[in-house]
Amino acid sequence: MAAVHDHGPARLSSSICSFELQSPSPEANKPRIGHLSFQDRVPIETPHYVAVSSRGAVPHLSQDMMRGNTRINAMYAAIEDFIEKATHQSQTPPVFNFPAAPHESPLRKFIALQKSALLILGPRRIPPLPCPASSTHSAISIVTALGYGMLEYTDYIEAVQKLRPDIVLGMGDVLFGHKPGFKRRDMMGDRTLAWMKGLVEGMTDEENGTPRTALFAPILPIEAEQQSYYLDALKDELSDHISGLVLYDIASIDAISPTLHHLPRLSLAPISTPHDLLNAISLGHDIFAIPFITSASDAGIALSFSFPSPTQDPNTPTALPLGIDMWSPTHATSLSPLSPNCTCYTCTHHHRAYIQHLLNAKEMLGWVLLQLHNHHIIDEFFAGVRTSIKQNSFQETRTAFHKLYTAELPEKTGQGPRVRGYQFKSEKSEPRRNPPAYRALDHGKEKLDDAKEKLAEAEKLSLSVDAGDLEERGSGEGLGEKVD
Amino acid sequence: MSTSSQSAALKFEILARCSTTKARASILTLPHGPVPLPIFQPVATQASLKGLTPVQLAQTGCNLCLNNTYHLGLKPGQETLEVIGGAHVLQGWKGNILTDSGGFQMVSLLELAKITEEGVCFSSPHDGTPMLLTPEHSISLQNTIGSDIIMQLDDVIVTTSPDAVRMKEAMQRSIRWLDRCIAAHKRPEKQNLFCIIQGGLDLEMRKICCEEMARRDTPGIAIGGLSGGEDKVSYCQVVDTCTDLLPQNKPRYVMGVGYPEDLVVSVALGADMFDCVWPTRTARFGNAITATGNLNLRHASFANDFTPIDADCSCECCRSEEKGGLGITRAYIYHVASKETAGAHLLTMHNVHYLLSLMGKVRAAIIEDRYPEFLRSYFRKAYGDMQKIPTWATTALRKVGVDLRA
Ligand SMILES: [Zn+2]
Ligand SMILES: [Zn+2]
Repeated sequence: MAAVHDHGPARLSSSICSFELQSPSPEANKPRIGHLSFQDRVPIETPHYVAVSSRGAVPHLSQDMMRGNTRINAMYAAIEDFIEKATHQSQTPPVFNFPAAPHESPLRKFIALQKSALLILGPRRIPPLPCPASSTHSAISIVTALGYGMLEYTDYIEAVQKLRPDIVLGMGDVLFGHKPGFKRRDMMGDRTLAWMKGLVEGMTDEENGTPRTALFAPILPIEAEQQSYYLDALKDELSDHISGLVLYDIASIDAISPTLHHLPRLSLAPISTPHDLLNAISLGHDIFAIPFITSASDAGIALSFSFPSPTQDPNTPTALPLGIDMWSPTHATSLSPLSPNCTCYTCTHHHRAYIQHLLNAKEMLGWVLLQLHNHHIIDEFFAGVRTSIKQNSFQETRTAFHKLYTAELPEKTGQGPRVRGYQFKSEKSEPRRNPPAYRALDHGKEKLDDAKEKLAEAEKLSLSVDAGDLEERGSGEGLGEKVD
Repeated sequence: MSTSSQSAALKFEILARCSTTKARASILTLPHGPVPLPIFQPVATQASLKGLTPVQLAQTGCNLCLNNTYHLGLKPGQETLEVIGGAHVLQGWKGNILTDSGGFQMVSLLELAKITEEGVCFSSPHDGTPMLLTPEHSISLQNTIGSDIIMQLDDVIVTTSPDAVRMKEAMQRSIRWLDRCIAAHKRPEKQNLFCIIQGGLDLEMRKICCEEMARRDTPGIAIGGLSGGEDKVSYCQVVDTCTDLLPQNKPRYVMGVGYPEDLVVSVALGADMFDCVWPTRTARFGNAITATGNLNLRHASFANDFTPIDADCSCECCRSEEKGGLGITRAYIYHVASKETAGAHLLTMHNVHYLLSLMGKVRAAIIEDRYPEFLRSYFRKAYGDMQKIPTWATTALRKVGVDLRA
């Protein structure tokens, strides 16, 4: 495939956002180095990742922890996390009402995201929970804290106008959880095109437009020819309005028209290991949302890989694990950091014995500390990736990484933190997320007190509170166990 | 009258006394640094304050927190603590730690616990085998934990128990157990053993216990058995009686107290130290402590309230971004309360900071000898109408010379 821009940096620029591609070339199917900059935000060197938030916070991390103890400078938020009052109670979502000047984002202020961080808004959580209902010609199905609902594309446009994030992802007719049938695939491109046109219109509206928001267009996870009409529109009539692309499938890179190769590519493709990441990077994906960071933390796993990988000891030919199961009692008296030489908050302030104790005692801090460490590991991973691409050593470094580490993250052995309804993936065969704890006597009193307080609260609130809390009702857990 | 005392691991110095009430402002110097009194101590039951890091805890102004001996004895267990080198090393906490004896938790957590002269008998929560917590064992555990203040094992029964004979037995046994604790204490040069005054609501029994225990000359003194459902009038009488009898030059710790108005009244009655799980527990239910009362931020009326949790609070959450804070609003807490743990962390930070800052203001008022005015303005703000102030508070404060309705 011929490169459109022969040599030298390719550039997209508008007044608010620019993406500069450096080495080695802006071709498809090659790892690439980029520099994504936004007015007033810390620029992002790519390949990199964006942190995934839940209801405006990176799970387990309060805003002060994220600001002070991580290097996160880009965050993804999903509109379905903010609109349950609209979807289920016909009220204006509170976030729309947050007082903000025209150049500010009410969403950023509402979730207390620092000014320097890039804010990306999309329709669905990452990873999205599958919905039983299918999309219509004007809406996709979503899951809010109050249950399943539909998101009309016109409501999405209004949300974008009201919330004014730095980047907004176009709403695509993307199915999660199963493959679309042939007939359905035909409609996906048409619907997405119509929704994209509406969004562009809304964003360029004289009165309610969003001149400070950049639009990333979805590439649908189907064959290029099945969405050719839409893809043609992207490179022609819509090209002036889009600043980036969103990919839902690693292979979608092939569907990108060469004239759009200069655009940054945000990957929401399923990624479950660093090997998957390296594969996507090798094909030219630039920015990633990585659900396995939080899922590893939830599982009590401290990520332990680095790129480039350490030199393999010839005497220990077995593969190194990608993560350490901190539930294992072998760490109970270990005063070592999670990873040797790690400079994260957790490793510089605490040791394995404490993390093991916190998990064992089901103290929330355990997941906080793992989350800090795991994000740090990913930060370092991408820094290593960028260096190796610059040095033209990416492929061999990747091969060595692949040889040294196991293929998968370790199995989860302990219980994760409590899951809420809107986080809960209801899969047929999967057992209850957190089986009821044994009625541990050591927590009896505290739990009893918690339960009493919860009951008292429930009585006080019964008339007015909305049933926002989709905790696994009736799952057999004692009231009190949900609270700690 | 001496206003200071010193033992191997503790220095207590009274800096100022209220000229009207019995309130004192002092400084308690422990092996891990000075603690300004009066103080509220947050409870980090299992060596962790509900999702906060030790650095975040220190940022709330805390330099003395609680760990529970019973819980640490189970997880990670004495053997592990021994290997690691104690609770400070376990949790990476550079401040001071106070531990309870484990007895109270045992009696309240385990229905089948039985008390004999030897100790507290209970069946193991792990496998049901019969076990015994003796004064010696409790002290040994606390020695391993390495807390800066350790508590004697006491025989606690609910203050509202009508059984005067059992109450007297518990009081006298607590004195005998204190002697056994003192004898068993291996590290008096590093850790301070506090006695615990018992005697229920019977003021005569409290007097006897105060005299007997004061004679043992422990570095600090706790008033125990309270906050167990007794009425506030009786509570105040017990605290008032004990502080009259206790030596002036020792810190006085009232166990299990944490509601703001209980704190400010108890300080007026001469108490210095308090602890309670309520501020951190209630945070996890979306409750914010504010100067105008407690707010349940899970209530839908806060969904569009874009003001700080407490406009006058200087905690990280409540301070605006312009002032270097996070600019968290009530609406955001509503948005995440009981849905994301980050919401609980934010409210925990606020509640702990609020109580510590309240105690800081109490202390400043005592030092400047304007504690009566402080009390009046505190209650005026909390209740709006002075007629709504609970009678127990006005009565208790009138007894120490402050008329709230004046
Ligand atoms: Zn680390
Ligand atoms: Zn505050």
